[in-house]
Amino acid sequence: MNVIEIENVTKTFGEVKAVDRVSLNVPQGSIYGFIGPNGSGKTTTLRMIMNIFYPDSGTIRVFGQALRGAASERIGYLPEERGLYKKMKVRDLLRFYGELKSGRKVNKEVDEWLERLDLSAWARKKIETLSKGMAQKVQFISAVISGPELIILDEPFTGLDPVNLEAIKNAVLDLRGRGATVIFSTHDMNVAEKMCDFIFMIFKGRKVLDGTLISIQDEYGSDTLRLRAEGGISSLKNLDGVEKIMDFGGLQELRLRPEADHQEILAQIMARTRIYSFDLAKPTLYDIFLRIAGPEVEEAARA
Amino acid sequence: MRKIFKLAKREYLESVKTKGFIIMLVLMPLVMGGSGIAMLLFQGQVDTRDKRIAVIDHSGAMKDMLLAAAEERNKAAVIDSKTGKKIQPSYLFEMIAPDAARPQAQKLDLSDHIRRGELHAFLEIGPNVAHPRGDQSTFRITYHARNAAVDNIRNWLNNVLNNHLRRVRLTEAGIDAAKADEIFAWLQVEPLGLLSADEATGGIREARKSSEAEAILVPLILFFLMFMMVMMGAIPLLSSTQEEKTQRIAEVLLGSLKPFEFMAGKVLGGLAVSMTGATVYVAGAMIMLNITGLGAWIPVRVIPWFFAFLVLEIVMVGSYLTALGSACNDPKDAQSLTFPAMIPVFLPMFLAMPILQEPTSAFATGMSLFPPFAPLLMLLRKAAPTGIPAWQPWAGLVGVILMTVFSVWMGGRIFRVAILMQGGPPKLSRILRWAIRG
Repeated sequence: MNVIEIENVTKTFGEVKAVDRVSLNVPQGSIYGFIGPNGSGKTTTLRMIMNIFYPDSGTIRVFGQALRGAASERIGYLPEERGLYKKMKVRDLLRFYGELKSGRKVNKEVDEWLERLDLSAWARKKIETLSKGMAQKVQFISAVISGPELIILDEPFTGLDPVNLEAIKNAVLDLRGRGATVIFSTHDMNVAEKMCDFIFMIFKGRKVLDGTLISIQDEYGSDTLRLRAEGGISSLKNLDGVEKIMDFGGLQELRLRPEADHQEILAQIMARTRIYSFDLAKPTLYDIFLRIAGPEVEEAARA
Repeated sequence: MRKIFKLAKREYLESVKTKGFIIMLVLMPLVMGGSGIAMLLFQGQVDTRDKRIAVIDHSGAMKDMLLAAAEERNKAAVIDSKTGKKIQPSYLFEMIAPDAARPQAQKLDLSDHIRRGELHAFLEIGPNVAHPRGDQSTFRITYHARNAAVDNIRNWLNNVLNNHLRRVRLTEAGIDAAKADEIFAWLQVEPLGLLSADEATGGIREARKSSEAEAILVPLILFFLMFMMVMMGAIPLLSSTQEEKTQRIAEVLLGSLKPFEFMAGKVLGGLAVSMTGATVYVAGAMIMLNITGLGAWIPVRVIPWFFAFLVLEIVMVGSYLTALGSACNDPKDAQSLTFPAMIPVFLPMFLAMPILQEPTSAFATGMSLFPPFAPLLMLLRKAAPTGIPAWQPWAGLVGVILMTVFSVWMGGRIFRVAILMQGGPPKLSRILRWAIRG
């Protein structure tokens, strides 16, 4: 069963088409990652799912219903920009947000979440005294405190240190484990690859990727030669059959042309230098992202 | 409704739980009635140092009378007979022979004495004061002091000298001076209200004595109280909405509330703040008036109108201020919009006195039926002792209800678009476009 069904939705702001005929289905119990460059339409799409913005055309059904202007009690929402009352105390604020959403007392849940995210000592402190990372965790709790079935998180990992990042990631996975459906947008391809069941990429308002990581990678085939070689990048320049080289210092990724034979390319390299290790792989999400939205695509489009 | 009340409760508690609210509750009436209270507090602060006054009497007929009157006054007024404390200055008059050769030099000399603090004032009495005819300079009485216009001694001299001169003139006219008190007796026209039938006893209820204080103060106090409550409950909505928008709290709340619920919650919170303040002041005033024996001043018939108009005024003003706040992107925008937004609340302030003086005039009726002004001005007229036709407050109320519904409807249309619209100043054309298109 799909929790969200988006069909041919368009949203325009003035002259700018923020979302252009996008369709998407989000299955129940899944983690759906929204990726795309800044200004591509991720937040607008999430806001339309939340009914904060109304689409100009197309339909959005959440839990099988077309909601109009109704913020559902079944949806938890973490907006891209953090919005907390600075003068309120942490526990009071979480109770307020939780009770506003669910209509019931959430004292127990507030204490559990504060404990879980290591914020119990800050429960009586005002929001304005918290660090950015702590405020981020409080904002996350406010989105999930009411126990929603669908959780929409707009860039939940931005600005977190590795410890807090791990804590939020585990919390998200735990919520999914309890049956919740989670959608989050992110610029961290590594996180999206590891956490998401499905990945949706939007670019210039249009859907460019949608599916599981494997299905997306399959579209591109095994066209990436990942290797460690003596001399690094300097030994790999001007190879026939190589479209692009991505240099990670001790490791290089070679994107092969569709007609290229990786054996021939390996032979070319071995003729120049020693190869310590190699692996013929599918492209990473990071690479796919750049292939769709990288600067060379922009340059090609301009040309 | 649950969500609206939840948000309203937060707004309300955030306002009333602060020390600032309590301080404002105490300070506001002090500031508004500050001058009156200061007069009461400092009225006993009198300079009790004796006042020496030189007198140049060209008539030659005032000396004995003046000295006798001063002595009588000093005996009666200077020392408090109960406490034995000096509470007023003594008036000490010194008669000085006029210098016919150098009259101006003599007065300059006396002025210098005053400047040096050796004298308080000097008085010059013209030669023909008993018969003020012909050349005006011959019957002038002049009082020279540092602050002659507001000097209490001048008022005292006015009475003493004129009463004496009238007696002199009566005597000259052959009328017995002993009858002077009766001749000069001044009878006040007493202000009384209307008599009414007492249905319980079948008798007639005596008219109640009214005072200027009651006739003017009671309507004005209710008027200013409503104004203060608008300042307390509605005006802050503009900046608080702007803050919630700027700090992105609005988007979080819109994940839980519809835009209209959001706006309604804020307005309801502001209304609760105002009602708390109004209830405290009205109840406090009623208790104080009853304690001080002025219970009859309590405008019982007007108080329900006060609360009815207050509720509508806060909702009406609060709705459009919240909508305007949602169109602002920073505190500067909010500041620049605050003054024009408050014009419908401020304008009745300028109309209050003319309307109170003539509450039944066509101007007063027209202004008080104009919906944006009606809550303040109709209340003012209703509280005036003159009374107004019974249909007018009801007509005003209907107009305000319609205006309030319109304000809420239009505010809601602006709010739901503007609250998430970032960038661009809150231009009137944009706000109108949002209001029309929704």
